Amino acid sequence: MTGHVDSLYVYPIKGLSPQRLESVPLEPGRGVPHDRTFALARPEGRYEHGMAAPLPKDQFFMLARDERLAGLATRLDPATGGLTISVREHPVLTARLTTADGARAVSAFFARTLDCAEGQAPLLAHAPGRRFTDVSVVSDAMMNAVSVINLASVRDLERRVGAPVDPLRFRANLYVDGLPPFSELDLVGKDIRIGAVRLRAVLNTKRCAATEVNPTTARRDLSVPRLLMREYGHAEMGVYAEVVTGGEIRPGDAVRFGAAP
Amino acid sequence: MSGTLTVRIAAKRMLTPRIREFTLAAADGTALPAFTAGAHVNVDTPGGATRSYSLTGDPRRRDRYVIAVAREADGRGGSASLVDGAEPGDHLRISPPVNTFPLHRAARYLLVAGGVGITPLRAMYHDLVRRGADVRLLYLTRTPGDTAYRDELAADEAVRLHHSAHAGRLDLWPYLAEPDDDARIYCCGPPSLMDEVHALTMHWRPSRVHFEDFAGVSGTDGTSEPFRALWRPTGQVVDVPATATLLQALRDTGVEVPSSCESGTCGTCRLHRHGGEAEHRDLVLEPHERERYLMPCVSRAPGGATIEVGPVAQAQ
Ligand code: FES
Repeated sequence: MTGHVDSLYVYPIKGLSPQRLESVPLEPGRGVPHDRTFALARPEGRYEHGMAAPLPKDQFFMLARDERLAGLATRLDPATGGLTISVREHPVLTARLTTADGARAVSAFFARTLDCAEGQAPLLAHAPGRRFTDVSVVSDAMMNAVSVINLASVRDLERRVGAPVDPLRFRANLYVDGLPPFSELDLVGKDIRIGAVRLRAVLNTKRCAATEVNPTTARRDLSVPRLLMREYGHAEMGVYAEVVTGGEIRPGDAVRFGAAP
Repeated sequence: MSGTLTVRIAAKRMLTPRIREFTLAAADGTALPAFTAGAHVNVDTPGGATRSYSLTGDPRRRDRYVIAVAREADGRGGSASLVDGAEPGDHLRISPPVNTFPLHRAARYLLVAGGVGITPLRAMYHDLVRRGADVRLLYLTRTPGDTAYRDELAADEAVRLHHSAHAGRLDLWPYLAEPDDDARIYCCGPPSLMDEVHALTMHWRPSRVHFEDFAGVSGTDGTSEPFRALWRPTGQVVDVPATATLLQALRDTGVEVPSSCESGTCGTCRLHRHGGEAEHRDLVLEPHERERYLMPCVSRAPGGATIEVGPVAQAQ
């Protein structure tokens, strides 16, 4: 089965905007560079500054509960740590995350927009080598997996529910097309080949309430996990894959599913 | 809604080609239940449908309610049957006033009305002006002729009228650019306007921005009402507001419940249900399991009820 890479995304800050990439250099055992390397930790939670141990996703602000995050357009330049937050194209905050002042400004901004109680503010979480992905608690290998969405599966869901389903609801790194719907769910233990790059599928993705949030309107308007359950008898969409052989990938590259390792 | 009122249409007048104002008085001439600015009543329309209308009149008057009704563009029965078929002298059955869009204390107010969405905001505006509050009203309509209560409002300095047919869409950004924790924004109008204000206030504290969308029903969960949960291990009673899930409410009081999907599909958050009626909304429990368990990420108890729950591991 041969398809192609449709698009590539990185989500530098957990729960915040996707950033489209024109190419991604992959290395064995590593995820997409800069993906989910920052997060906003709940002030009343267990996160402490500099903490490197994994924490469950409920310790962070996230779309599954804080749909408002989708209403802010954020752009982080990983090279400089410069963050810009916009509301309908109007910049409302620029800050450098790598400085203490910048981190404070970001905390104060999100304390307001997430309506934290007086005196409380989210902590900007960041620790070398840590990615704040939902599966980071499973293992470091899973933390470094790349998330893959098959656009044919999303279209199949759209057709069945009779409503548009923005593929960005699923917040994947790698969007592929030209392959049979849901063929990505039969891959665990098998390879995904993109040119010379080899990924090994490791876990089908069970979707959570984050997918209920419309990435454009920031409103919870489609009960995706429940619709998946109703239509297919499971709540899976997409697959996590580990990088086995590295290399550069780009939109348009040929993708082959299911070759035995 | 507890109890209904029978009212008589005391007057009907044309505000715009599409909008009629109805003045309603108690059928038996007695005083009507009090209301506050922002309140609405549910009206059993002649067409059979029940529709919600904001009270636009003066809350100090107990002898009448005033509503303004636009004939809906899609011609659905409710409003059209009032506009075309209800005349002075006719009786209507309505609910007592309910306020899901109340004014909160603030240093400054910005009211944003679109079209017939002026109705609750007009009552608020006059109320705030009477109290000497710092208030501004943006009132957006298509043309001057589409503008209900135009003469009454046009003279006021604190009111900005804007007609899109002539001037294009009003850029709301200058009014919303600076988030102000001491201010409150109230918005009522067509979905496109409410979406716009929602999108342009993402950097505000959400508690400062209010929309009248006759909600209380969410797309995925149906109606949610407040209830109580008794956490068996500690005996603690937790209030679950309409806006929170049982899972969130438990967590907010320090009870740790593991969860994953938070949409009733994965089975992680399962709790033992020791007593009380449940409204199951999950997709994982088998019918026979529903007797004993509950998924708190989506499931609830009926409004006002108390449900007793505890962790599964310690269940007998
Ligand atoms: S967290 Fe998945 S069913 Fe409640």
